[in-house]
Amino acid sequence: MQRRYRTVPDLKIHESARALAFEDPALAGKLTAMGLLPGTLIEMVRTAPFGNAYYIKADGVRLALRKEEAASILIDL
Amino acid sequence: MKEAGEKLLNVALVGNPNSGKSTIFNKLTGLRQKTGNFPGVTVDAKEGRLRLPSGRELRLTDLPGTYSLHPTSSDEKIVAAVLANPRDPHFPDAVIYVADATHLEKHLLLLTQLLDLNVPVLLALNMSDTAAEIGIKVSPGILAERLGIPVVPVSGRTGENIQKLIGEVEKLLLAPLAARKPFYVPTELEKQVAEAVCLNLNLDNPYQALLIAHHQSWLPFLSPQERATLEAIVKNKEFQSLRIQVDETLERYDRFTPLVQAAVQNPPQFPSTPTDRIDAFLTHRWVGPLFFFVVMLLVFQAIYDWSAVPMDLIENMFSGLTSWLKIHLPQHWLSDLLTDGILAGFSGILVFVPQIAILFFLITLLEEVGYMARVVFMFDKTMRRFGMNGRSVVSLISGGACAVPAIMSSRTIGNWKERLITTMVTPFISCSARIPVYAVLIGLAVPANRVFGILSWQSLTFGSMYALGVLAAFASGFVLKKVLRTHDLSYLAIELPVYRMPHWKNLWLTVWEKVLAFVIGAGKIILIISIVLWAMARFGPGDDMQQAEAEALRIAATQQLNDTATADLVAAYQLESSYAGCLGKLIEPAIRPLGYDWKIGIALIASFAARDVFVGTMSTIYSIGSSDDDVMLREKMQSATFDDTGTSVYTLATALSLLVFYALAMQCMSTVAVVARETGHWKWALFQFAFMSLLAYFGAWVVYHLFQ
Ligand SMILES: Nc1nc2c(ncn2[C@@H]2O[C@H](COP(=O)(O)OP(=O)(O)O)[C@@H](O)[C@H]2O)c(=O)[nH]1
Repeated sequence: MQRRYRTVPDLKIHESARALAFEDPALAGKLTAMGLLPGTLIEMVRTAPFGNAYYIKADGVRLALRKEEAASILIDL
Repeated sequence: MKEAGEKLLNVALVGNPNSGKSTIFNKLTGLRQKTGNFPGVTVDAKEGRLRLPSGRELRLTDLPGTYSLHPTSSDEKIVAAVLANPRDPHFPDAVIYVADATHLEKHLLLLTQLLDLNVPVLLALNMSDTAAEIGIKVSPGILAERLGIPVVPVSGRTGENIQKLIGEVEKLLLAPLAARKPFYVPTELEKQVAEAVCLNLNLDNPYQALLIAHHQSWLPFLSPQERATLEAIVKNKEFQSLRIQVDETLERYDRFTPLVQAAVQNPPQFPSTPTDRIDAFLTHRWVGPLFFFVVMLLVFQAIYDWSAVPMDLIENMFSGLTSWLKIHLPQHWLSDLLTDGILAGFSGILVFVPQIAILFFLITLLEEVGYMARVVFMFDKTMRRFGMNGRSVVSLISGGACAVPAIMSSRTIGNWKERLITTMVTPFISCSARIPVYAVLIGLAVPANRVFGILSWQSLTFGSMYALGVLAAFASGFVLKKVLRTHDLSYLAIELPVYRMPHWKNLWLTVWEKVLAFVIGAGKIILIISIVLWAMARFGPGDDMQQAEAEALRIAATQQLNDTATADLVAAYQLESSYAGCLGKLIEPAIRPLGYDWKIGIALIASFAARDVFVGTMSTIYSIGSSDDDVMLREKMQSATFDDTGTSVYTLATALSLLVFYALAMQCMSTVAVVARETGHWKWALFQFAFMSLLAYFGAWVVYHLFQ
């Protein structure tokens, strides 16, 4: 079955999408406090040199997220 | 609380990370600041004095930057713990809330939480210089009206409106606290929980009660009974803390976003900025890590090069003063205490100052311009394998110069376990004090011939010592990661701030503060240990010292030695009979398996003060104390034999075993003192001392037996 949503690691470099919801409540607390909310426009900028982390922009604010952290953010298709 | 009594009023700076809080703090307090220790927690907060226009003084505290009162790391917990507890001695009488005016839509969450706690607060709209530059107009009037608090646009950089800010603080402290309408309207369940908590803990602020309910499991000020009661309430009401926190946060955003939209004209667009163009290189897959290593090499080089002159100067000053005093003071043990104990201790402290200053200057520079967050991003994965964090890279590389400032720089690591592991493994990295020891031992035992034409065995051995240190650091990180437990979750989620030109005032204030913290904090302990070591080498049991002197004088007379040689011989005999000598002989059975005799034992004990003491102690033992000649020392050591068997002491096996011992052992009282201070517990310093010593012993034993 096709998944009905994607997560941030599914974004290609320079692709953008809006955040919909969070899977992990603990991370959701951290990310929303930092200003990454449902509805925030997320742009994938690049992956870390040794992998496992992403450089993204959330409404223009630059953030670095671990892969697990990024994967807990659901985004629109 | 408000009457103009004698009590020193507390004002706290609160705000998100990178809001420019520290810059404002520096502007307000200048040099009148120090790092205070919050009891029970390992993260320091800075404190300073501020004089109001009326002449009244207050205490200004710079609390760690945090996004919310629902914390996710140990330094953020400090903020929540202080603000959720009006009985806390640091509980502020007023708060200056610092927000970045160019990103106001992300910076008001925490402010709205403060409003609900009913603390007197004013909003400082910082970075107003940048806002004006990029054409963002924020109306303080609208914000003040809608939030019901004073609002002052300021710039920590240009100093704009700082006087006005101080004036507003004074007004705020004098004004009676009006009851506020809560900003956030809690749900029915939250109301019930808050009521129950208020009733049980005798509180009157519902949001405070709610915070305590959310964080009852760790808040340090709760008694066990209170905790049990709270736990029961939370369980009974099926209070799903994490989910409710997120809902609260989102609700707050929904409430203040329209307010920001009303107050801010020209909300920022996000065009490609210089920061993006710089990051395209500095966080690039290949260029990024490469650039980092070049930067670190330069830092390392700078610490060596720039510190050599001031360090020599300090050492020469002290040795000059010491020899002058030795000549002019009467012969008495009190004079010796002054010269060989106290002055030696002071010089041991001050000699680190240039390295600490340079290292912190460079690291703060990297932090100020915004580069450090990129290092964390790039190396997080690698370091996490070994129980550390991206920021640990900086500490480890700084450890190549000196573990003392390197450990102090690990404070930026939020997660307790990652910071502790970084502190534990950093001293394995070969620091500059090991170089003289390596040089003597390698010159002594390793052949100078070449291996592949260019490399000599000697330089290979030298390199291997550094490699051994790095290996030991990562391996023990790996082990500690498995052993240590923490309740802190580990996050990366870090903001990558825009690149900015450094603010020089921030830089030199930080350097000043670190140096002072080291000299006063660690300095006390170094001084004490140095005096103890001196006493052990100066005094002996019974009249052994006098007998040793007489014996040495008799031998000197029969051999017709000159004055210097006689003095050297006396020093050598006395050292043998001193408590330090006794201790050396006492531990000889323990170190014999490593190939060492009691003389090396004394050097090992003395080296605890600092590794480079090895060379000096060996010189004294082999009675060449008054000359600075490495070659002569080497010759003497080469001809040394064991007292009982008469076999040669310094074989290749012994030298290599000693090298390994010095590479791995914790022989630096400054580091022990700093670890105790930074972790807040002697137990960690002792644990580290024990495991490093064991590893060193074991490593040295293996090497000795391999090469024998
Ligand atoms: N342009 C500008 N930069 C500022 C201002 N205040 C602070 N900064 C810079 O913003 C960065 C973060 O400031 P800092 O005080 O370390 O932030 P903190 O994390 O909140 O303590 C530093 O590079 C400061 O030099 C300001 O008013 N204007």
